Amino acid sequence: MNMLTIDNLHVRVAGKEILKGLTLAVRAGEVHAIMGPNGAGKSTLGHVLAGREGYEVTQGRVVYDDRDLLELAPEQRAAAGVFLAFQYPVEIPGVNNTYFLKAALNAQRKARGEPELDAMQFLKRVREKLSVLHMPEELMNRAVNAGFSGGEKKRNEIFQMALLEPKLAILDETDSGLDIDALRMVADGVNAMRDPQRAFLVITHYQRLLDYIVPDFVHVMVDGRIVETGGAELAHQLEAHGYAWVAERKLAGAA
Amino acid sequence: MDAALLEEFGLGDARERAESWRYSAQALRALGAQSFVAADAAATPPPALMERCDWAETRGRRLVFVNGRLSAAHSDWRALAQARPEVRIDSGPAGATVIVLPAGRTGLLHIVWASVPGAAPGRWNATCAIRLEGGTAHVIEQHLAAPGADVLGALGSELEVAAGAALHLTVLSDLPAAASLYRRVRATLRERGVLCTTHALGGGRLQRFDFACDLAQPEARCELRGVFAAQGREHIDAHLEVRHAARDTASDVLWRGVADGRGRGVLHGAIRVESGADGADARLQTKNLLLSPHAEIDAQPVLEIHADEVKASHGATVGRLDERALFYLRSRGVPERAARAMLIEGFCREAFAVLDDAALGARLDTWLATHVAAGGERRP
Ligand SMILES: Nc1ncnc2c1ncn2[C@@H]1O[C@H](COP(=O)(O)OP(=O)(O)OP(=O)(O)O)[C@@H](O)[C@H]1O
Ligand SMILES: [Mg+2]
Repeated sequence: MNMLTIDNLHVRVAGKEILKGLTLAVRAGEVHAIMGPNGAGKSTLGHVLAGREGYEVTQGRVVYDDRDLLELAPEQRAAAGVFLAFQYPVEIPGVNNTYFLKAALNAQRKARGEPELDAMQFLKRVREKLSVLHMPEELMNRAVNAGFSGGEKKRNEIFQMALLEPKLAILDETDSGLDIDALRMVADGVNAMRDPQRAFLVITHYQRLLDYIVPDFVHVMVDGRIVETGGAELAHQLEAHGYAWVAERKLAGAA
Repeated sequence: MDAALLEEFGLGDARERAESWRYSAQALRALGAQSFVAADAAATPPPALMERCDWAETRGRRLVFVNGRLSAAHSDWRALAQARPEVRIDSGPAGATVIVLPAGRTGLLHIVWASVPGAAPGRWNATCAIRLEGGTAHVIEQHLAAPGADVLGALGSELEVAAGAALHLTVLSDLPAAASLYRRVRATLRERGVLCTTHALGGGRLQRFDFACDLAQPEARCELRGVFAAQGREHIDAHLEVRHAARDTASDVLWRGVADGRGRGVLHGAIRVESGADGADARLQTKNLLLSPHAEIDAQPVLEIHADEVKASHGATVGRLDERALFYLRSRGVPERAARAMLIEGFCREAFAVLDDAALGARLDTWLATHVAAGGERRP
């Protein structure tokens, strides 16, 4: 059974159609990579799945765990296990990281009818996850992403994912801006979380990340649609030939 | 406008400096149209009001003024009187209270100004001077009013910081919708004197705060931090003026303003560097947040420089809640209301960041929760 079913999804942003009939099915335990040129609509897909306002769904549907995902508020989606690692994590001065994450985790637990964690239990969990990602505890005492370097922000996204333990994690270009070691740590963090009950949608421009996080499927998204789907090897072919190659192959196939 | 009322409330100020009262003229006119009797200085504050200023950390170090007059019955300054050298509380001319803080460790001083309305609208008028002779002192000033009829208080304060001394002043105002307050503070800093103030101004029908800080001698320095929060129909008007009158003086003004409902806020920040005050370093930054379509904030930074080799910067913004930040918090599971509250409190907390006193930090958190955390909804 599918965890996530996206069927013929059409989405408009500011009056312009960005997603133009996107179809995708994800089962628990799978890792799907989405690649595609700038402006194809990859981040738009991530935002629509996480529930950002300002996106008008004009056609199609999204079913997650047997529920109409598009009906739910962002916080309800989070509680149901959806997590989006942002391409551009937001800086929030004045809001302490620990305070924010404890509130987020406990709000999710409460919504699921699970007992909330007390300060000690929460701290224990934080330390555990920080060590997996080799992140300094000092980052937790700072304001959310405020003054973080580009790489620290991305690592903080993965740290939050590790802490919140979502069922469906969407990683939007988490690899861009990371140095080689950080890329390794992020990939290790993701791999450590791979689980038969959990699925990943990994949006990336680089096959390098997919050498570490080996996907079950690679999709190519162009102009708001999935135009090609293959296995992990597709990423290597794209790296070698570029997106124009996909378009040419389509034309050749059609002829 | 009712000239007699303005005389007592604005001390004639509104007529002399009509421009500085521009944004509050209407609110002042409405007050002027109302008649007030002298508020009863012997009134008994309701227990609920006294509870709000009965802080464990300031027992024995608390002066309570009721409707402008020092109330021995409600004050407790045993610890201050026993301090050596002793903190002196004297009467000055025309009923003024003069508090002298000698050099040495005086600890906290908690001054409470409680407005207690009677059957009819009442008004009070008071003056208070604080002189710090040396060392470091921390003064907490708290403004409260019991709910009920309208009440209008006017308080003129003088702060004097001696050479090399450092005064920390934290002001918390927490007023109901029927209370109005006009505070006028004149601070004078001598050589190497330091004044650090943190203001949390909340509530009130009209709260006007005029603060003039005079960096009178070389190397004097002031840090003025604060937040105002106006909800419902509250109106808060803060005028901060810093004058650099000597060499190598420094000022750092950092304020946040939040207005919700039909709340109205004004922040006027003016820095003047006199000729000869070379080497002055002046910074002024104010950021403001509008939380409803009917709220309004006017932020005006003014920089006037007559000296050379001056470092000066200023900035003022008025904006709305960052929708991207709101989505970020919600996408991690924080419900919308809580996420809004978190963002607004965080925005304000930046101005409180310098405080490293945990007990006081908790007081400010409570203040934030009361005045800004409702995030779009009126507090009870
Ligand atoms: N709020 C908006 N208003 C107008 N256009 C928008 C808005 N948001 C996105 N778009 C447009 O939608 C298209 C898809 O954007 P999106 O961010 O989803 O692309 P992407 O595939 O993630 O690109 P990249 O690889 O550069 O991150 C772009 O042309 C973008 O300009
Ligand atoms: Mg993108």
